[in-house]
Amino acid sequence: MKITVELYGASRDFSSKSFIEINLVNNSKIKDLRKELIKFIDNHHAGNENFRELVKAAAFCSDKNEIIHDDYVISKEQKIAIIPPIGGG
Amino acid sequence: MIHCNVLDVKKEKINISKAQKFIASKKCGASLFFMGTVRNENNDKKVTGITYDSHDGMVKKSFQEIYEEAKKKFKFETITIFVEHAKGYVALGEVSILIAIACKHRKEVYEVSRFFIEEIKKRTPIWKKEHYEGKETEWLKGNPVVNQ
Repeated sequence: MKITVELYGASRDFSSKSFIEINLVNNSKIKDLRKELIKFIDNHHAGNENFRELVKAAAFCSDKNEIIHDDYVISKEQKIAIIPPIGGG
Repeated sequence: MIHCNVLDVKKEKINISKAQKFIASKKCGASLFFMGTVRNENNDKKVTGITYDSHDGMVKKSFQEIYEEAKKKFKFETITIFVEHAKGYVALGEVSILIAIACKHRKEVYEVSRFFIEEIKKRTPIWKKEHYEGKETEWLKGNPVVNQ
């Protein structure tokens, strides 16, 4: 299934678009998505260490604006936002 | 009562008179306006502006949650809050956030205002990309949102 990962903050530098698409097997978890994103960084950004660290430190948010934990099961194709460490105001 | 929003600065600027109208009440004897503005230096670098990025849905949700928590924490008779955050490029000296508070007494507005801005810093999904002299830019490192 195809997951659209919406990019925010420093993760916007992952792509020229505002999102990236990741293919996952059905019923994957957020921790699987995180691993796939790290593979994406390795493949598209030569393992950029800052980007890898950002993925490791990031939270993820569902299309219902809720933070979803690493064991959350992604049961359908959907949009998920990556939430890098925050610092507004 | 709360008004909260994220403003795309290309379309609209933060407007203090709008906040003043929203919080005006004969029940409240104290009003306080907090504005965050872009300053000219950070970490020994000369800043020319900041691009703010925002997850708008989560930002508004977080403002609402902080407001509900403030009501529970302080138990003041009246708390009226107007909060708006800018999104997009904000130049030096311009306003990035406005928090306007009205309560019955002055002690209350100081407490709620401080609580609100500190909580926003901790948990509201807004990111800053600083622009420096010489066209260099950098996303600022922030605090991770708890995800476990």
